[in-house]
Amino acid sequence: MKRLFAISFLAGLLVVVLATTFWPLPTHLRYRSLITVPTDGGRQEEFVIRWPEDRIRLPGEDRSDLPATAAVGAAVLEDSAGQRASAELFRLRDADDNVIGVATRLAGTGGAIADPGRSASNWLLVIPSRGALFLAQTDVQDTTVTEVPTADGPVVFAQAQTAAFWAERQRLLVTANAPATTGSVTTGRVVRGTSEFEGLRGSFTETWALDEVSADGSTQGRILLATFTAAGT
Amino acid sequence: MRALVGVLGLLLGLLVGASTVLLNPLAWMRGLPPLSSEIGPFKTYRGEAYRGIDLGAGSLLRAGRQDPEAALNDPALRHVRIAIIVLPAGAGAPAALAVKVSAAAESNSLWRAQLGTNDYWNIYWPGEGSIFATGYSNYWAVTRDGFFAVLGGDFDGARAAGYPVSAPPPPGSAAGVTGAAGRYAGFTGEIRELWYPRAGNPRGTDPDWAVAIKANPPPVTAR
Repeated sequence: MKRLFAISFLAGLLVVVLATTFWPLPTHLRYRSLITVPTDGGRQEEFVIRWPEDRIRLPGEDRSDLPATAAVGAAVLEDSAGQRASAELFRLRDADDNVIGVATRLAGTGGAIADPGRSASNWLLVIPSRGALFLAQTDVQDTTVTEVPTADGPVVFAQAQTAAFWAERQRLLVTANAPATTGSVTTGRVVRGTSEFEGLRGSFTETWALDEVSADGSTQGRILLATFTAAGT
Repeated sequence: MRALVGVLGLLLGLLVGASTVLLNPLAWMRGLPPLSSEIGPFKTYRGEAYRGIDLGAGSLLRAGRQDPEAALNDPALRHVRIAIIVLPAGAGAPAALAVKVSAAAESNSLWRAQLGTNDYWNIYWPGEGSIFATGYSNYWAVTRDGFFAVLGGDFDGARAAGYPVSAPPPPGSAAGVTGAAGRYAGFTGEIRELWYPRAGNPRGTDPDWAVAIKANPPPVTAR
């Protein structure tokens, strides 16, 4: 009996050793990186976000009474001086339309951030299998989302999701061509990267492209993030 | 009788083995020193507005079932969590709007007491500026204490009031704060996080997370 107990005890220890060694911990699905290398060096990579379907819906946003033009997965924080910051959550796609990660867009107005009528925005692109890219820019106009109180709770609206915004255009280059006069934010800058993007610096542009206007006044379109990075520049 | 002795021996072996693995001393040796409360005070918040994994041991071990309402079902996002957070005003700083993305770290290793996530933050203070931050959170101590709490009959889970989950990043990962916009452009610094697992009760209202950030302006250079 003692021998049986000892053998089974050792068998239990062996199971733990094997499980600790071979347990399949989470790994992230990786799609082939779609990178173009220009003649003069560096790397170009384009990311795509489709609105409204790539917005990440947060808990409690399953209300069926939301207006067609409402934006889900977004929040607004405004101070008493009217200075605003807004956050939006998206799925991130590569140029082949595969969902490869998540993207967040934070934009802010006022004070030290941007000139009146403009905002400065940050993109956080997280591709779990590759790392993250941090992007910052001055916007050509105020691109923060707005929150409107309703009887059923606050509703967030994004300009690009309303037909009126596209009355005179089909595309908008959101990245400012020149820095704001506040000078504290440069335009279209890759601030930093992690993991595979570690040590990369460079520039980017953000473009909104309209695809379709629906009869209910809502829109469908794409946010195009075109990055150009190089090591240590 | 023989079968009973065999099963008892096996169970005891599993228990002793699991306890030995969980008591890995590396888990105690790898913490990050806390920031000075004067320079980087902790701001508490309740992290309810999230989608994706719940950061419990089941999610990080790929052994649990995810909440179907919160799960991100895209194949590349199965082990990711994304959240919008409002950091309260206080200690001389206004309220801030933030997003936090956590992705299960592929460098996790049960032998090295690493069961964590790579975390990415973007924090925006209206009218002030914004920062990016990245770090590695290790939930090994939470898992260990939860395991022994269950063994002791306390099914409410882990006992510690707040876990300093921030840990030095594994090779290939990075940690730190990078200023992005406004008056924080060019700043660099550090970030620390605390998790209060017992406050995570869905019906509770207590803050279940806290974050502390220390950021310094860029050095002045003479022309």
